[in-house]
Amino acid sequence: MAEKPVSEYRGSIHQQQKDLMLDWYQHLDHAAETGDPPTVSMMISGNCVELLEGFGAIPQYPEVNALQLAIRHQSLEPILAAEEMGYAGDNCAYVKADIGCMLKGITPTGGRLPKPTLVLCNFVGCNTYVKWFEHVAAFTGAPLFVLDVPFLRNDTPSQADIDYVVRQLKEVVGQMEELIGRKFDYDRFRQSVAYSSEVEDLWSQIKHLAKNSPSPFDAYFDAITLMGPLYVYRGKREGVEFFRAALNELQQKVKAGEGVYDQERFRVVVEGPPPYPYFRTFRDMFASWKAVAVASTYSTVGGLWEFGFRHDAKNPFESVAMHMLAQNVTNRNYLQRYDQIRRYVQEWNADGVIIHFVKSCRLFSAGQGDMRDYFTKQLGVPTLYIESDLEDPRYFAEAQTKNRIDAFFESLEHAKRTATHAVGA
Amino acid sequence: MRIAAGVDVGSTQTKAVLIGANGDGVKVLSRSLIDTGANVRKAAEKAFDECCQAAGIAQADVGFVVGTGYGRYNISFGHTQMTEISCHARGAHFLCPGTRTVIDMGGQDAKAIGVGPSGEVLDFVMNDKCAAGTGRFLANAAEVMGIGLDDIGPLSLRATRPVKIATVCTVFVESDILSYLSQGKKPEDIMGGVHLAIAKRTMSLARRVNIEPLVTMTGGVARNIGMVRALETVLGQKIIVTPDAQFMGAVGAALFSLEKLGESFESSVWREHAVSSRD
Repeated sequence: MAEKPVSEYRGSIHQQQKDLMLDWYQHLDHAAETGDPPTVSMMISGNCVELLEGFGAIPQYPEVNALQLAIRHQSLEPILAAEEMGYAGDNCAYVKADIGCMLKGITPTGGRLPKPTLVLCNFVGCNTYVKWFEHVAAFTGAPLFVLDVPFLRNDTPSQADIDYVVRQLKEVVGQMEELIGRKFDYDRFRQSVAYSSEVEDLWSQIKHLAKNSPSPFDAYFDAITLMGPLYVYRGKREGVEFFRAALNELQQKVKAGEGVYDQERFRVVVEGPPPYPYFRTFRDMFASWKAVAVASTYSTVGGLWEFGFRHDAKNPFESVAMHMLAQNVTNRNYLQRYDQIRRYVQEWNADGVIIHFVKSCRLFSAGQGDMRDYFTKQLGVPTLYIESDLEDPRYFAEAQTKNRIDAFFESLEHAKRTATHAVGA
Repeated sequence: MRIAAGVDVGSTQTKAVLIGANGDGVKVLSRSLIDTGANVRKAAEKAFDECCQAAGIAQADVGFVVGTGYGRYNISFGHTQMTEISCHARGAHFLCPGTRTVIDMGGQDAKAIGVGPSGEVLDFVMNDKCAAGTGRFLANAAEVMGIGLDDIGPLSLRATRPVKIATVCTVFVESDILSYLSQGKKPEDIMGGVHLAIAKRTMSLARRVNIEPLVTMTGGVARNIGMVRALETVLGQKIIVTPDAQFMGAVGAALFSLEKLGESFESSVWREHAVSSRD
């Protein structure tokens, strides 16, 4: 039976993350006023943030703006503004929130957002992005570069695919040089790739700490907290320092045998983005069962590093291309995602899988019905399938969602009790 | 005798059941059924009160109360809560031994539950944010036709050429029905079509869990013989229905209550209600 919501682990990493992200928004605010530093609008998935360092530029992520609004319960107003303008009900709500913000002059923190120096549509795994970034470019008047990253059709990308992306990355460099009026600093780019590699190593170690029982952190909810610095600061010294401190904090927790809650009752793997407009409510539904996510696919949208891939300072352009093509969950094929989740369940020792379908993102969610069948019927892994949205609060039905989550953990509890009895017998 | 209760506060109706356990086994002592209405808390209290009165038992003598259904957190006197998914599985396992699949159709929910050998939930699927395939759909159809809810099932069985209902939308079905009425279609053929449409919708949902026999139907819609028949037609196998189908969630909740009192119902030999399939 579900217990009352309990307080979960809050460490210094949560506060440091907040400070880092606030700092980033302050830089964006400064750029809005002075034009410095240059900024580039990009997509999170398979982002090439290292390239920006070669110009001392910083990223803007429309997705991060959208989710920050949603988590602050402010996404409906811009969504309605976009719908009033003509965006359809089933358009991606991230897009509508972002466009609506431009229409209404809203920003997540209340600070200003600069006109981007370049709108770089690093089209990875999401074809809606092409239209979204065309609109961003049209609304802001900024130049647009559509960087075409082919979907991964096999286990690994072909050399032709890698060459194709590298050539485009170099075209981006050329365009940025013209826009900013200074040369690309190749050494700084290479240094950034080296920092990324270090961050990825630290992040990977953190992810593997969740194999401990109890897991020292929630690899869905806490991982989302860590994802901000991962995408904004990955190619910087600050990123290395942040993730080194995070690893240290979590290693201490493992040594002390501390988990996310006073007791860890269930271990789950989560597939899909969270319902950001009800982030706290959603988390409480798991907290009341002391259920901990030990792994999640959403925390690999920006990059998949726990299975070994690292950026490589010896081949910076090629490794950035490889990351965009093959080392983020959204550009990979569905069978690879099945396998990723299967490994999480087996190697991270999970009791079940939670699939959260989001109406906004058909590309991420299409096929999740079959995925549920694969895990329940072929692998015998208890799997819960729930639906809502990552941005639009109108799609979240609290009572229905809670009912399903409670029923799922009731059944897991029963299974555990039966297994205990069986062992006892 | 130890006495335990289950109260199932559904979207449309609230059900309460008292069960008693002695050395011989477990028995359903009483049941009550009232409309939920706007005041969920009061509905739960009233249902529990009526149930106790029907059994001639003081509320203070009830050892444990488990609340279930959407209003379960509003049951002021409940000791704990369980979802109706677990409760329907447990209730069906008790009243219809050998149940491996539960199809529950209530006022706003349609769900299929895969049940394990000890009454545990193995898997479940539910309708999502849409009342298609639920009691509400049938109620709307009955209202448009001007027929009582209890009469639509028997009427549907008289259909000789059931119409095709294209929509499963609870709102748009009205215009479909009005269109058939204006074409002069017979009410029984329209109702036959309505029942088949819901049965198909429900089965496409249910097939996402492994449908294994015995299949037991629970929830208020199980009272509708036309719906049971339509589901059997689409499924191609017998569906078990007990007179307590509508109380299954409350029965399951009461069994969980009994567990809390330290009683096992697994060895039960004392069942008041025989399992029946509607032939």
